[in-house]
Amino acid sequence: MSTQEIYNAILAFDEVSVKAKVRAELGAGTDIQTILDDGLVRAMDIVGERFSAGDLFIPEMLKSAQVMKAGLELIKPLLTTDQSRSKGTVVIGTVKGDQHDIGKNLVAMMLEGAGFKIVDLGVDVESEVFVKTAAEQKADVIALSSLLTTTMPAMEQTIRITKAANLAVKTIVGGAPVSQAFAHQIEADGYSADAPGTVKLVKELVG
Amino acid sequence: MKQPAINTFRPRMRVLNEEQAWAIHHAALEILENTGFIMEHEPTRRMLLEAGCRTDQEDRVLMPARLADAALKSAPRQIALYDQQGRRAMSLVDDNFYFGTGSDTIFTIDLETGERRRTVLQDSGNFAKLVDGLENIDFSMSMGNPEDAPIEEIYVHVFAAMVQNGNKPICFIADSGKDIAKIHEIACLVAGGEDALARRPFILNYSEAISPLRFPINVMEKLVFCARKRIPICLPSGCNAGGGGPSTLAGAMALGLAENLVGLTIHQLTNAGAPFLFAPNVSVLDMRHTVVSYGCTEWSLTQAALADMRDMIYKLPVWSFAGATDAKTVDAQAGAEGMLSIITAMLSRCNFIHDVGYIESGHTSSLEMVTLADELVAMSRYFVDGLRVDEDTLALDVIDRVARNVGKGAIFLNDEHTFKHFKTDLFHPKLADRSRFELWHENGAKEMQQRCTEKARKILVQHQVTPKSEAVLKGIEAILAHKTYQRI
Repeated sequence: MSTQEIYNAILAFDEVSVKAKVRAELGAGTDIQTILDDGLVRAMDIVGERFSAGDLFIPEMLKSAQVMKAGLELIKPLLTTDQSRSKGTVVIGTVKGDQHDIGKNLVAMMLEGAGFKIVDLGVDVESEVFVKTAAEQKADVIALSSLLTTTMPAMEQTIRITKAANLAVKTIVGGAPVSQAFAHQIEADGYSADAPGTVKLVKELVG
Repeated sequence: MKQPAINTFRPRMRVLNEEQAWAIHHAALEILENTGFIMEHEPTRRMLLEAGCRTDQEDRVLMPARLADAALKSAPRQIALYDQQGRRAMSLVDDNFYFGTGSDTIFTIDLETGERRRTVLQDSGNFAKLVDGLENIDFSMSMGNPEDAPIEEIYVHVFAAMVQNGNKPICFIADSGKDIAKIHEIACLVAGGEDALARRPFILNYSEAISPLRFPINVMEKLVFCARKRIPICLPSGCNAGGGGPSTLAGAMALGLAENLVGLTIHQLTNAGAPFLFAPNVSVLDMRHTVVSYGCTEWSLTQAALADMRDMIYKLPVWSFAGATDAKTVDAQAGAEGMLSIITAMLSRCNFIHDVGYIESGHTSSLEMVTLADELVAMSRYFVDGLRVDEDTLALDVIDRVARNVGKGAIFLNDEHTFKHFKTDLFHPKLADRSRFELWHENGAKEMQQRCTEKARKILVQHQVTPKSEAVLKGIEAILAHKTYQRI
């Protein structure tokens, strides 16, 4: 049962080993879905659990996602369209007037690690750009980030014009000045206090 | 050519200059020469007179400075303590610091009910077990005078409870030459014989002279016993400012040092080269409530001064305190007072630091306070380790790499360098809560004391203490029951 070894290698944050084990499994003719489910995905599930329990830190979570991705790259060409479909598309950015992006980048990275397609618009993004991109990409979620209290109105404005555009897209907000109450007030579909919480939130909204 | 590495400065503190230090020392010597002391132990008195002391018309013993100087020269600069399995655990010398609990409290805070109640024998066992399971607490003391132990042998029973529930070194109390012999017997059993214990001592005795300048018989019996058996001992008096000593700190220190120098001199005259832990306790007597304070800023200052005097004059490891409080519960006062004494004890490089976990001015012991202090020690420890500066920690390549790729979503959090360093180069608190409000609230909005209670409970339930052999345990039972037993 060496999909277990793939799983172990991810939990040991060992990229070289993950690649070697995936190659070995492919060579041995193991079913692709088994490698995916019992090796890669199962490991990421446990990583999430350990993080929530406080046993893993953010850099370890990011590292495991990176290691998992390295293994995934090897089997990607072999996946069927159905198997390789992303869990959903998220358009993300820091709203107009705000240049801060560490939080936004962290959320993007973790969503990507969780299997979502990310369209990162960067910082200081005009409301119209969020809406236009979401329409073009048939996005499932627009994720708005802000650090400065002064840019909170830009969030409200973006959500307003998103709703006006009548797209089948959910909007979520996050960042230091934002709260659940504020999210309600501006009629966002979701709010999370931190990056791991955002992954959970997006899964709920899209799933 | 490769340049030498940049040395790491380890932050430390000085509170005295040489002039102040020598002035206090000379005052101590003057006290011994002019005021003298009361020696109630006749054999010791004779020994002192033979060595060159004289008595005044009130029969006080006056001691010449040269005797103190000689004792300071013959006492060893380093005391090594071992754990109960014979492994080196402490090197009490120079800048090394070690933390441990205290003794003799009357009350404890019940971990299940939160109630303040009389201590029982099981509590001493629980404290020893907790210490055994905490990473940053190095030695055990009894933390209680239990109401369910026979009072004439109370110290033998708490010593046995500590041995049965932990393996770290023990600082023990005894009443006189009688019970100390029994405690020694148990210690020999644990260490594998008297020679083994003398070679690798895991015990250190704490005894006290009575301020001002009084040396009772029972205390001298213990001092002489330890000197002969080469069991490390300290003999700080309680010359607290306004209580056992004058209300000014310099005078209280001079008095305490004089008393300590008497103890050291007797000790070295009895057995030159035997290990002696130096320095008095100089806290304050609170002028409103007449309690000796365990959270005051003065005690932290005097012991920092004594650590300075160690470096400048005495060259012997010093006894001190930290991680205690006058608060009645593990509250904000407890945290503040605990941290003040811990960080300053560490910054001034006190060596053997006891009383961790005392609340209510040392009247009550608290498992939660010990648990809190464990984390405060870890925080302070990180601080005094200093700031490493080298190519790797300056991380210029990392800064360049991330800064140039921010537009592509690069963040330091996801960099290999972060992954390699974050765990060891940063301090990660275990009890201090840094979670976001929502998560904290979701998890029950717990305050620090509650988290300490939970951690202490968990350790008491889950921690496995390496057990003593059947022969040792049986031997201890026999000693406690006054029966003969098989010597190992």
